[in-house]
Amino acid sequence: MIRHAGLRALQGLLVLLFASFAIYMLLGAMPGDPVDLMASGNPNITPADIQRLRELHGVDRPIVERYGEWLGALLRGDLGYSRMFARPVLETLAPYLANTAALMLAAFALALALGLPLGLLAAARRGSLVDAAINGFAFLSAAIPTFWLGLLLIVVFSVVLGWLPASALPPPGEDGFLARAQALILPVATLAVVEAGEYARHMRAAAREALAQDWIRTARAKGASELRVLFGHVLRNALVPVATVAALGFGGLFSGALVTETIFAYPGMGKLIYDAVMASDFNLALACLLMAALLVVAANFAADVVHALLDPRVGAARGGPAP
Amino acid sequence: MNARLAFAACVLGVAALAALGVPPLAAAFGLDPAAVDLALRYAPPSLAHPLGTDELGRDVALRLALGARVSLSVGICAALAASLVGTAIGLAAGCAGGRVDALLMRATDAVLSLPVLPVLIVLAAADPAKIGLPGGDAGGLVRIVVIVAAFGWPKVARLVRAAAMSLAARDFVRAATALGASPLRVALVHILPNCAGPILVATALAVGGTILFESVLSFLGLGIQPPLPSWGNMLGGAQEAVWQAPWIALWPGLAILAVVAATNLLADALQDLLDPRRLNAT
Amino acid sequence: MRRATAAAALLLSALAGVLPASAQPRDTLTIAITQFPSTLHPMIDAMAAKTYVLGMARRPLTTYDKDWKLVCLLCVDLPTFENGGARRVALGDGKEGVEVVFRLDPRAKWGDGTPVTATDAILAWDVGRHPRSGVASGEGYRRILKVEARDAHTVAFTQDRVTFTYNDFSQYELLPAHIERARFEADPENYRRRTAFDTEPATPGLFNGPYRIVQVQPGASITLEPNPAWGGTKPHFRRIVVRTIENSAALEANLLSGSVDYVAGELGFTLDQALALEKRQRARFDFTYVPSLLYEHVDLNLDVPAFKDLRVRRALLLAADRAGLVRQLFEGRQPVARSFVNPRDSVYAADVPEVPFDPDRARALLDEAGYAAGPDGIRRNAAGERLSFEFGTTSGNRIRETVQQALQANWRRVGVEARIRNEPARVWFGETLRKRRFQLAMYAWFSAPESVPRTTLHSESIPTEANAWAGQNQPGIADAETDAMIDALERELDPAARRPIWAKLQARYAEQAWVLPLYYRADPFVIPKWLAGIEPTGHQYYSTLRIEHWRPR
Repeated sequence: MIRHAGLRALQGLLVLLFASFAIYMLLGAMPGDPVDLMASGNPNITPADIQRLRELHGVDRPIVERYGEWLGALLRGDLGYSRMFARPVLETLAPYLANTAALMLAAFALALALGLPLGLLAAARRGSLVDAAINGFAFLSAAIPTFWLGLLLIVVFSVVLGWLPASALPPPGEDGFLARAQALILPVATLAVVEAGEYARHMRAAAREALAQDWIRTARAKGASELRVLFGHVLRNALVPVATVAALGFGGLFSGALVTETIFAYPGMGKLIYDAVMASDFNLALACLLMAALLVVAANFAADVVHALLDPRVGAARGGPAP
Repeated sequence: MNARLAFAACVLGVAALAALGVPPLAAAFGLDPAAVDLALRYAPPSLAHPLGTDELGRDVALRLALGARVSLSVGICAALAASLVGTAIGLAAGCAGGRVDALLMRATDAVLSLPVLPVLIVLAAADPAKIGLPGGDAGGLVRIVVIVAAFGWPKVARLVRAAAMSLAARDFVRAATALGASPLRVALVHILPNCAGPILVATALAVGGTILFESVLSFLGLGIQPPLPSWGNMLGGAQEAVWQAPWIALWPGLAILAVVAATNLLADALQDLLDPRRLNAT
Repeated sequence: MRRATAAAALLLSALAGVLPASAQPRDTLTIAITQFPSTLHPMIDAMAAKTYVLGMARRPLTTYDKDWKLVCLLCVDLPTFENGGARRVALGDGKEGVEVVFRLDPRAKWGDGTPVTATDAILAWDVGRHPRSGVASGEGYRRILKVEARDAHTVAFTQDRVTFTYNDFSQYELLPAHIERARFEADPENYRRRTAFDTEPATPGLFNGPYRIVQVQPGASITLEPNPAWGGTKPHFRRIVVRTIENSAALEANLLSGSVDYVAGELGFTLDQALALEKRQRARFDFTYVPSLLYEHVDLNLDVPAFKDLRVRRALLLAADRAGLVRQLFEGRQPVARSFVNPRDSVYAADVPEVPFDPDRARALLDEAGYAAGPDGIRRNAAGERLSFEFGTTSGNRIRETVQQALQANWRRVGVEARIRNEPARVWFGETLRKRRFQLAMYAWFSAPESVPRTTLHSESIPTEANAWAGQNQPGIADAETDAMIDALERELDPAARRPIWAKLQARYAEQAWVLPLYYRADPFVIPKWLAGIEPTGHQYYSTLRIEHWRPR
């Protein structure tokens, strides 16, 4: 088990190295380097200014050389400065990271809290109207364009009913815990609805499979109550495949909430990555993207571990990733 | 199960019919979906324009049909491309095993661990010429197809690999090998046809995924470029008008919702049909 | 379920107009803008959002007022040749320069009470001209040969040339020497990372305007409070929060739901959106449309063989129904442009002929130029070259895309094909436009009143590989006559003598049609009924420079 974990960690590092190289080269393949962008908005810039800025920002050297340098600095623990914000990268992204963490955790928790019981309920009432409704919800929620849903929620709850603020971050001075929580309701709901449908669908399928097993019948025959069967036996077994889906979904929330963040004017990682990419802020974009990749790798790893813990059939011998 | 299939078939049938039938029909009646009429901007639904008009006074219904053509073809092409690459890689890994398998699967892991949305945005904003893609009108379509193929294949590859591995252990495959069939022949003739189920399911899922993804890119202004309508860019373009002409945001949104739900249902139903033992795979 | 949401959306949008405004004590003001300023240092990187926010907290030496006249902000009176504040000086080797002497307002203080003095002006010059300080454009500072403190409140600037903008110091940003001098001198190369404007933006001493920044919530908002050391008109609001909301639909939702009080006219709604809003919200807001110096136009790349023919260029202009476009898309709120000079500018030449919408004349010109209609309806010349061009602008900009498609339809009717090819702003401005890889390009310029078009029309400003793509003469205009007029304009100090040159320059520009003028963009100011004192300027010095006069009715 430990050997397996070590191997996975090593693989994870290699994947991150690959990701950093790929992302660096991709950013380099984007037209218009940082100085091009600065120059394009500035009518009075002179050729000498441009040359000076190129040197200052180091974009006059070949990209592979810059990558080597960046990697070297990274190994020394130096992520460099964000060009856009003229601040150290870590200091720049810290507040965004905190915002994203709040949004992600809340959305993830809500999605699980909604999705898992719904899935279980649907499986327990197989074939009923409830089952059909839940299944319908699961399929529709996975098919809604996010910004459509976000805008709809804003129109209804902020503008017409006036119950909730339309932006996800209250202004400083009015940002007590309650105000912040209240402002997060709509974006969290937007994200959670989509995820919850996904979890409900998987939970329903997994629970149905578990319910069809012989030992459930045995448990029922022994007189275990329906609730006990559902929560004691079915849930535990059904969680195995759902954990994988949830872990992957969690990783995706980190950088994939861009649309929700934009609609709700919430400064999170998705938006920061987008802005950094669009402004050719290499250092910042790389740090954020690597963090996102790291999270995906970690989530995969966590899914593996959960898988191994919950399902005795998966041994450490099986080196391959979870299905 | 039949209800699911029926719903999916209905929705997809209507969309396909609209995509294939309406544009030529409109042309026959002399209606032009690109006809600009600035005097008729944001007209509410009427007899002449059953779904109203958009910001340039173009007929929303006609554009919706034309958008079906664009969105569906992008979705189908991208899904097929991703499946093709994924099937090839998964088959190679599953049949060859050993080092080849290890290498290919690590590559799959690596691609899966890239943060999808940001990397796709970088790709969408990159200079097409620099990464060897065509520009111009078709550029937007081709670009999205390539992007989805480049990032969608790992899921298919994993499914195909798993299926191939279990098939390789089956008696009829062993028998073929024993009878002297070459590994390539075994893979293509004996294993591949039996992997059709998972491939079909994954492809159906990818069609819906691509349509949704294109709508996100359009929201960011990186999707299919006007004047070519796609449901994504119609919806993206409607954001600013959401207060004055909500119907122009409504229809493309509903179209996306219905078609994506239909493809997902289709995938779900196919899965049950093709392999009743496996209830779910991711 | 889907039907229900559909009905709800329709119903709700109809209801959206009837919400009452929330009644609060009006001592705070929340303003929404569509961009977040990534840096707050006044000299590093030009950015509209930064200009907007810093307008409340900092004052430049001079500015242009709402009537587009140059006025003093930090100085006592504007130095001119007439009042003796400026004089010609010999620079040796036969060149002539100008020395201007500014007297700083003795009431001006930084937020910590330190008076604004000549040393602050000198620091700005030191930072601005330093080659490695990271200032994006050092040119303006490097044109100044010497900055001298005559006394604590008197500064003399010696400039290396004689131009009529000798006393325009609107972009000259004083820096608080008592805070920034040490940071700069310790390590000039890293000054852009060490400046207090970005490391400790809430430092009171950085600001000399009516407000000072007290809190920055990265990516989301900037909070300002009155600057106690401010000596001018006392500002009304106890606190101002500037929030960033990029999505236009969300912007509107925030305004309607009362989450923000006011959406900045300069950096807020699109005209389209404001016009639609006006129909529903007249009761709550006042709507003002201010034609600004944002000049929207279509550049023709003069390297394209067909565009070397004046008849083709004229035909494109005649075939474009600009008046119809402005009437139907913008309800006539944006004036059709005749040249690059705005009608509100004092140097505007009213006699530049208006080019009408005349597709017949356009067809005749194209016939004359040797382009006849081909089988596909697109014209081609004897060699078979089709009149088909790539037409680009920034993708995702709804108004531009709309106008672009309308123009495409216009040109199609005279047998010219425009193939739309748009790119994200970073690609478009950073690469395609800058390196002149376009055929037809739609974008806008922003300038100050009476700004000489050296960077946009002079042949020296054509971006080339050799000059590292500097300059903004994107069409590639190389016209000796235009060059001579631009040179003459800059040297002529007498406004009356400049007028005929300006008129000739505009006439030349209009007649040659290197660029198809579209319209001057209007900033829509959607001001809540209770808020008074906002005076839209229409140029790059924003209304926030008069924030101390904003107050409730």
